Amino acid sequence: MAEPSKGLLRAQEIYQDRSHRAIELREQGKKIMGYLCIYPVLEMMTALDIVPYRILGDMREPITRADSYMPAVNCPFLRSCLDLGLKGKYSFLDGIVTTHICDVGSSLSGIWNYTVRTPFSHHIDTPHTLHETSLQQEKGLLQDYRKALENFTGQKMTTEKLKEAIRVHNEQRVLVRGLYELKKQDPPLISGVETIQVIKAIQSLPVDEGNELIREVISEVKERSDGPPHKSARLLVWGSILDDTAFMEMIEGLDANVVMDDTCVGSRAYFDDVELTDDPLDGLSRHYLMDIKCPRTFRTRDYNDVRKDYMTDLGVRFSYLRDYARDWKADGVILESVRYCDTHGYDVPSVRDYLDSIGIPSIYLEHDYTEGALAPFRTRVQGFLEIIG
Amino acid sequence: MTTEAKPRALNRLKSMYALRAEVDKMYEGGAEASEEGKPVAWVMLEGWSNAILNAMGVKTVFPENYSSLCAAQGVATPFLDRSEAEGYPTHLCGYARTCIGYSSRMVELDGDIPPEAPAGGMPKPTLLVASGEVCDARFKWFQSLGRFFDAPVWTLESPSPGLRERLTEGAHERNVHFLINELKAFVAFLEKLLGKKMDWDALEYTGGGTNEINRWRWEINELRKAHPGPMNTRDFWSAVTAALFRGAANPDVIAEGFHKMYDEVQERVDNGIAGISLPEKYRLSFEGLPPWHSLGFLEQLAERGWNFVIESAYRPPRPVTVDLSKYSDPMERYVRRRYRSLENSLEEDYGSEEAGMIIDEILCDGTSRRMGLKHIRDYQVDGVVLHVLLTCRSTSAGLNLLQHRLLDILKVPSLVIEGDIIDVSAFNPTEALRNAEAFEETMEHYRKVRKELGMPW
Repeated sequence: MAEPSKGLLRAQEIYQDRSHRAIELREQGKKIMGYLCIYPVLEMMTALDIVPYRILGDMREPITRADSYMPAVNCPFLRSCLDLGLKGKYSFLDGIVTTHICDVGSSLSGIWNYTVRTPFSHHIDTPHTLHETSLQQEKGLLQDYRKALENFTGQKMTTEKLKEAIRVHNEQRVLVRGLYELKKQDPPLISGVETIQVIKAIQSLPVDEGNELIREVISEVKERSDGPPHKSARLLVWGSILDDTAFMEMIEGLDANVVMDDTCVGSRAYFDDVELTDDPLDGLSRHYLMDIKCPRTFRTRDYNDVRKDYMTDLGVRFSYLRDYARDWKADGVILESVRYCDTHGYDVPSVRDYLDSIGIPSIYLEHDYTEGALAPFRTRVQGFLEIIG
Repeated sequence: MTTEAKPRALNRLKSMYALRAEVDKMYEGGAEASEEGKPVAWVMLEGWSNAILNAMGVKTVFPENYSSLCAAQGVATPFLDRSEAEGYPTHLCGYARTCIGYSSRMVELDGDIPPEAPAGGMPKPTLLVASGEVCDARFKWFQSLGRFFDAPVWTLESPSPGLRERLTEGAHERNVHFLINELKAFVAFLEKLLGKKMDWDALEYTGGGTNEINRWRWEINELRKAHPGPMNTRDFWSAVTAALFRGAANPDVIAEGFHKMYDEVQERVDNGIAGISLPEKYRLSFEGLPPWHSLGFLEQLAERGWNFVIESAYRPPRPVTVDLSKYSDPMERYVRRRYRSLENSLEEDYGSEEAGMIIDEILCDGTSRRMGLKHIRDYQVDGVVLHVLLTCRSTSAGLNLLQHRLLDILKVPSLVIEGDIIDVSAFNPTEALRNAEAFEETMEHYRKVRKELGMPW
C-alpha cells in the first residue's frame, strides 16, 4: 500500500479535490458545517466536534444555474458558490453558517435557504463598526450562535471545550504565520500559488488535520531545493477573494514572486490570535469584530474623535500593509478585486493614497472571476514590473 | 396649423407638487445654514439620525436624494466621470459615485458649491452620518469622502438580523438595547462635536412627527388598493422624498402635505378616477429603486394602460400604537415607538393565522415562501417590473428569487428591466418598451391561470 502523500503534494491533492476528506469524515459520522467568508466563528464549531468547511466558488466552472436566482450584477464569486450549491456540490454539508459580510453575502444566506436548503443554517449579523456597543452586540450574537449549535448537535458547548478549540485554532494561526515567514527569504521558499493551495486545503479540513498538514509543509519547504526561483520583483497582493491559483500563476509566470498577501484565502484570517479570556466569547467577539482587517468593517482612528485627518485615518486603516511590505521586502503592491465587490472597490483609491504616501507603487486589477479574463492582465502586470524594476 | 399637445397618460396628483417643493427647500435651507456658519450634516437615509440631528439644530441634507436629483435633471454624468477619474470602480453605487464626483468638484473649487449644482447644491459638510443599515455603500461611501473633506464620520449601527435569528429568544430585546445604546453614543458624539447638550424635548417632537407622516402615507397606500388604482407610482416617487428627507421642514408641514394627498386620493377613489388617464388595463408593482433619470418611461407605459398601483421600496410601515408609559428614558421611548419585533410586525401585517404559518416556515427553513408578497395579493397585481440595477447590490440581489416566488405562489409574472438609478447609459428604453409589449401576453395568460385556480384576481 502506498504511503499517503505529505506536505505540498497533499495540499495540492486536497486543493484539487477538496471535498474528499469532508465526505469521508461525514461517512464516519462527523457533522460538516459550510461557512462563507472568514467571519463565522470556527472555534465554536470545533468545540462541538463539527468540521468547519469553507464554501468557495469555482472560477473554472461556468455559472449556469445561479443566474436564475441572483442577477449577474452581483459578485461572481458568491454567484459561483450558489451555483455549486444548486448543482449539488455541497450536498454533503449538514449546515451553513453565514455572517453579514457584505450585501450579497447576506442576501445569499436567504437565497441558499430557499433554494439549496441545507438542513441547518445560522446567520450572524456581524456589526460594521468598532463601537463599544457593536462589541457588546457581537458577543450577544455569538451567544445565540452557541445556542443554535448546541440545539443542532444536542451537546453542551462548555467553556473548557471552547477554550481548547481556541487554543487549537490559535495554533493554526501561529503555524500559518510560520509558513509566511518562509516567504521572507529571497527567493521565497514557497510560492504564492503553493500558498493558496495550502490555505485552501486547511480551510477544507478539521483544524487538527490542517495543523498537521501545515507542519508537514513547513518541514518540507525548509529543506526543499526546488523552491521558487529568484525573480526581479517581490510583490504584495491585496484584495478580495482569490480561491484559485490562476491569478497567482499569471503573476508568478512573469518576473515576480508573490511574497505576501492580504486576501482571505491567504493571510487575512491568521495574523492575529484570539485572546483567551475568562469568558471565551469576549475574546472571540473582539477578534472576529476587531482584529480581522477586511474592508467590510468601518475602521477609524477613534470613533469618538470629532477631529478628522485623512492621512492619519489611512495610517490606522492600512499601516499593516506598510509593515507587510517592509518585513517581506515587497517592491510593489497588486490591488485586485472581483467585479461587484463593493467593499473592496470603495477602498481602492484610499489604499493607493496610502501606498503613494509611503512610496510603494501599486496597480489595481479588477477581474470577473473567470480564468480566461485574466489573460489581458498579464500585459498590465508586465508593464507594472517594468515601472517598479 | 396648430398642433394640439398630446394629453398626458399619467394623471398626476396636484397635492404632490407641494410636497416635492419641500425637498428643494431642504437644500436651500442647507446652503443658508452653511452661509450662516451653522452645522450641516450629510446624512444617509435611515430611520434614526435625522430626528436627532434636527433636535440638536443641525441642518441635514441627503446625498442619496441629491444624487437622484442630479440624475433627474440630467447633470449626474460629469460627476460620475469625475468619480471614475478619482479611481472608483464604475460598478459602485450610482448615488455614491455622483456624490464622490460632486465632492471632488467641491475640492477643486476650494469648498464652494459647484455652480452647475442643481437646487442650490449641497454645502460642505460639518459632519457625515453614515449608516450600517440596508447596504455597504452607505458607510463605505462616506468613509471614502475622507479624501475630500476632513469632516468626521459617524457610522450609525442598526441590527439587520436574519429572519430565523430575529425569532431567537431574547434577540429582539437585545437589538432594542443595541439601538438605544448606539444612538446614545451618537448623541454623546454630537454633544462633543457641537459643544451643546441634546434637547430631549425637541426629540420627542421631531421623532413623533415622523410617525404622523408615516401614518398618512400608510393611509394613502391603503386607498391605492382601489380599482382603478387612484395613484400611480410616479406620484409616489415624486412625493416620497419629502417624507424620507425632511431636513428643512417642520414635520407638521410634511404631515399636512400628505394629509392633503390623502384627501385627493380619497376623492379619486370616490369618483373612480385612476392614476392614469387611459383605462387601467394592467395593474403593476414596481420592485426596486426607480430609474430617476428616466421616470418619463412610466408615461410611455401608462399610454399602454399600465398603472403601477404599488411599489416595493419605501413602503410605510403599518402604524401601531405603542404603550410608552412604562419607559421614561427619552431614547428608549424614541426607539420603542418604531422598532418592532418580527412576531408583532407579522401579526399586525398578516393577521394571526397567516403570521403563524410564516413563523413556522421561518423556524423550519430559515426563510418564508409567503413573506414579502402580500402587497402583490392585496393590490391584485397583474404583473411586476423588477428593476435590476447595475450599481445596487442590495436591491438587486434578491430580485431573481422574487421572480420565482411570484410565479410559483401567486401566478403573477414579472418583467426584468435592467438599468440604474443614476447612470442613464445602463438603461435602454427602446428595448424595455419592446419587452413590455411582449409581457402583456404573459400577463393575459396568467390572468387566465389565476382564474382557473380560483384566485381572487
